[in-house]
Amino acid sequence: MVINPTYLAQRTRTSLNWQDARRRVIYAYRQWLRSAPEIQQMYSLNMPVSKIRTKVRQEFERHRYVNKLPVVDMLIMQNDAEFQETLNYWKQISHVMKYFRETENPTARLPQGFMQGFLEGRN
Amino acid sequence: MSSGEYADRSAQPAPKASPEDPPTARSSDSGIIRQEDPAEGLVDHQPDYHAPIDHGTSQFSPIPKRVMDGGEPGNITPAAVLSGAPVDLQARTVRIYRPAKTATQSGDWHGHHWRMDWDILQKGHRWENPLMGWQSSADYLQGTHLNFSSKEDAIQFAKKQGYEYFVQEPNERRIVPKAYANNFMHSPKRLKKIPTK
Repeated sequence: MVINPTYLAQRTRTSLNWQDARRRVIYAYRQWLRSAPEIQQMYSLNMPVSKIRTKVRQEFERHRYVNKLPVVDMLIMQNDAEFQETLNYWKQISHVMKYFRETENPTARLPQGFMQGFLEGRN
Repeated sequence: MSSGEYADRSAQPAPKASPEDPPTARSSDSGIIRQEDPAEGLVDHQPDYHAPIDHGTSQFSPIPKRVMDGGEPGNITPAAVLSGAPVDLQARTVRIYRPAKTATQSGDWHGHHWRMDWDILQKGHRWENPLMGWQSSADYLQGTHLNFSSKEDAIQFAKKQGYEYFVQEPNERRIVPKAYANNFMHSPKRLKKIPTK
């Protein structure tokens, strides 16, 4: 029986070496950048496309210094899953807005210094 | 950085990195163990107010000292990066201990495993619910613990997940060997064991 994969499903594979991993990561990043206008239109987000692209960049930069290849493979697989879920409209607006919590929710922040943290009571 | 630890780099050509290398691979000096200056050690033990914020950060979340980013040296799997767990968990201290034997009974069947327990939050730990006076909490790990079969397992888990942990060694029971005959032992000077005290 032929199983037809869903749109944007990726075959499981590992990276051969760091060069291969780099190529896959950059391809995935460019894929997100290209799809930013579609995400904005699909989820009716009230923000410019550049903000979505900045957030994509931020999320990729979070894992810039990973030094183990299997971890990079795992992150690429998670990224593929996120991309598929987002572009197939399997997510809802709240799931997409989880990434923008810093700007949307004023309580989602760390205190700016010791004094503010002390006055807030969280240390 | 103390100057005695590294070779003089000006005499050697600058090492060229290529896409084949992992992101933080150094072409030289990779085998030298580096001594940490006191100022550098202080940075790791101070709260990091510029730590990444994620979907779980709230007004109750504590401030992490170190957030795992996958670039740590060594063979530890960076599960904190891969699991998608909130970054706040890396801010909270974890206690690894062996629960004490039940004092009311002699059996010690509960006292052999190791347990991991989370320290309480400073702010959102517990408050009185205004409706009924019940205890509300913003701590999703309130009253949660993990069991491990050995101390090394627990430490490995804590390192993998990026938790700040400390190990509390158990108080081992000390059984003093006694002999009834010592009550009647003769001694020319002061008695070594005084039975009537």
